Amino acid sequence: MTLVKEAPVRPAKKRSTAPAAGRRGRRRENLAGYLFMSPWLAGFLLLTAGPMIASLYYAFTSYNLFTPPKWVGLDNFTTMFQDPRWQKSVEVTLKYVVVATPLKLLLALGVALLLAQSRRGQGLYRAAFYMPSLIGASVSVGFVWRALFSDDAIVDRGQKIFGLDVGGWIGNPDYVLYALVALSIWQFGAPMVIFLAGLKQVPRELYEAAEVDGAGPFRRFWNITLPMISPVLFFNVLLESIHAFQVFGSAYVVSDTRCGPADATLVYTCYLYQKGFKEAQMGFASAMAWTLVVAVALVTAVLFWSQKKWVHYEEAAK
Amino acid sequence: MGTSRNVERRTILKVAGASAATLGLAATTGCGGDDSGSGDGTVTLRYAWWGGEPRTIAIKKTIALFEKKYPKIKIKPEFTDYEAFWEKFQTQASGGNPPDVFQNAVGFLRKYDKRGVLLDLKTQADAGNLSLENFRNGVLANGQVDGKQIGIPVGANTMALVIDLKAFKKAGVEAKMGWTWDEYFDALQTIQDKAKIAGDTGYCSIMYLYDLYLRQNGKAFFTDSDLGFTEDDLTQWWEDGYKRVRSGLIADPKKVEQVKPLSALSAGLAASEFTWDNFSIRYEGEGESDYGLAPIPTTDGKQTGQYLGSLMLSAFSGTKHPKEVAQFIDFMVHDPEVGKIMGYDRGILATTEQYEAFTPTDDNNKGVKAYEEEVAAAGVLGKITPHPSGADIIEAAFLRLGGEVTQGKTKPADAAKALFSEAKAAFAG
Repeated sequence: MTLVKEAPVRPAKKRSTAPAAGRRGRRRENLAGYLFMSPWLAGFLLLTAGPMIASLYYAFTSYNLFTPPKWVGLDNFTTMFQDPRWQKSVEVTLKYVVVATPLKLLLALGVALLLAQSRRGQGLYRAAFYMPSLIGASVSVGFVWRALFSDDAIVDRGQKIFGLDVGGWIGNPDYVLYALVALSIWQFGAPMVIFLAGLKQVPRELYEAAEVDGAGPFRRFWNITLPMISPVLFFNVLLESIHAFQVFGSAYVVSDTRCGPADATLVYTCYLYQKGFKEAQMGFASAMAWTLVVAVALVTAVLFWSQKKWVHYEEAAK
Repeated sequence: MGTSRNVERRTILKVAGASAATLGLAATTGCGGDDSGSGDGTVTLRYAWWGGEPRTIAIKKTIALFEKKYPKIKIKPEFTDYEAFWEKFQTQASGGNPPDVFQNAVGFLRKYDKRGVLLDLKTQADAGNLSLENFRNGVLANGQVDGKQIGIPVGANTMALVIDLKAFKKAGVEAKMGWTWDEYFDALQTIQDKAKIAGDTGYCSIMYLYDLYLRQNGKAFFTDSDLGFTEDDLTQWWEDGYKRVRSGLIADPKKVEQVKPLSALSAGLAASEFTWDNFSIRYEGEGESDYGLAPIPTTDGKQTGQYLGSLMLSAFSGTKHPKEVAQFIDFMVHDPEVGKIMGYDRGILATTEQYEAFTPTDDNNKGVKAYEEEVAAAGVLGKITPHPSGADIIEAAFLRLGGEVTQGKTKPADAAKALFSEAKAAFAG
């Protein structure tokens, strides 16, 4: 921010009288800039913007990949809203987002609070807690999860000790989604690091003053820590919710590519993938994709609106 | 179509999509150019199949044999498992870039014929590059659609009941030709009582078994362009199935789900499973018991409804080298050495040359051979019924909805209704 303020603003008059050589030099500089940017620009236009526009068009067509797309107007959307499997996928995804996001953030914040205190081997602890996030996206972890939560595997055996016999989570439509939630929570490293950075920014003197006033640890957390890190909390809530809406890999692998059993792990993107790549209904899949974009945008908008009520910015307080 | 402006817009979108696809393709294959031919007259063909590791090892041996005999033709292998194979194939075919030769099955023939992907190999047979002679038991007909020969069978197999021999022995149950469904379910009860495991792994979600049941009752799963049964028929089938799951005659679907990719039979969750007869070879390697083949139960004590299914080789209609493709397929289905290497991995060898060249030595392959011969001798084999375009999607839906029923998550009548509605969309696609 300060950089922008300090940057000298060249008066327009001076620019117009600048020698031709200087202008050419600047143009060459600009050209070099664009040249360096071009791989990214080409990548963006061809691999992101182009397909996105194409997909927006396909959302209004019936397209099976082989015959040319046929314009069907809003048919894909009306069929989609009436499709029981689509409704199920929305239900499963919402359930996942609502359960996984708060739990993950709670754990991330809890561990960040513990790790924020200086103690010996702090670096080691931080690395250890961050580690799962590095490998979390890999397919192999999905397989490991499948093995952990299967019938007569370690989780099942552990439960039996407490008299809870469900016969494994993976094959049980009532439990399998929570195995995915557990996988998500386990990868709390990224929000944890952000919380840690936020906690480091809280001025020590606030705590000292509070302590002098006789505030206990809970009070200090509630009245100082939480308001002070609320911008970071907002950032994490936003990022993790968007992330949760897009869950795919874990659901696909844990369910052995079927998003089941009994559609219990049929998250939105899993159904989208089935429609597009298994059933070759690219028009329907595109309509689903754009509906997700709009839904995520709405959720983001609501979060931004709500932040006025609970996010505390220092500038605003001044 | 619309105005010229619309066309222009569409062209731009297509160009955008196509460039993205080309870039992606180039990135994954590492080469964007056409490498199917070279200056010295050598031709390269891409050959793709699905299956496990033993099949891949065997096929690679047969490729080496072919390249030795035809030094001017090089074969580039591509292989994955079944699910991934068809997802990849669909994308490749829609981009006009499928393999020159590939493994195919009856459920996909009409789908890709309708989309113009499959080469009519009859023309190549007429040109003398491929022989359509010496196919056993009329199995060649499996690859014919509307007078075209779009698949050449490499093996033939039929549905069977694969049984855990030890469990059946322990329960004192014997499966016999012509036994009825009631006798079969009684046997499951005996197995449950005496061997203390479920009798069946979950028969009611298998589309090909339901097809046999319907055929025994004068119907079939598919007609030329539709389903050949009613919602009530299916509701009844799934209601009975669900009852048997609840009574423990059928393995707990929650457990079946968790042993995947192992079969519930080889994992010891049940004593029998309806599947294609060549699967008994796979289960022998997978499981700890001994596995054998038993006859399909019947409705009237006579007709099993069975027919010979088969895996085939098909070719891409747009291949640049149709002659070499035909020579390759001809070698793969007729050469005796290839038969010796492949054995019954893809079913009983389809041509007499290969069938006679391979003598099974192990109990399992011997069992498959004996079973096929017994079925053929019993005269129960019927003609294959149609598999319209979309059959593959309906098979997946049948498996999923059957699973929902047995898990107790969907009522049989609702699941049957859903299948009919999904089938309608699949046929239209």
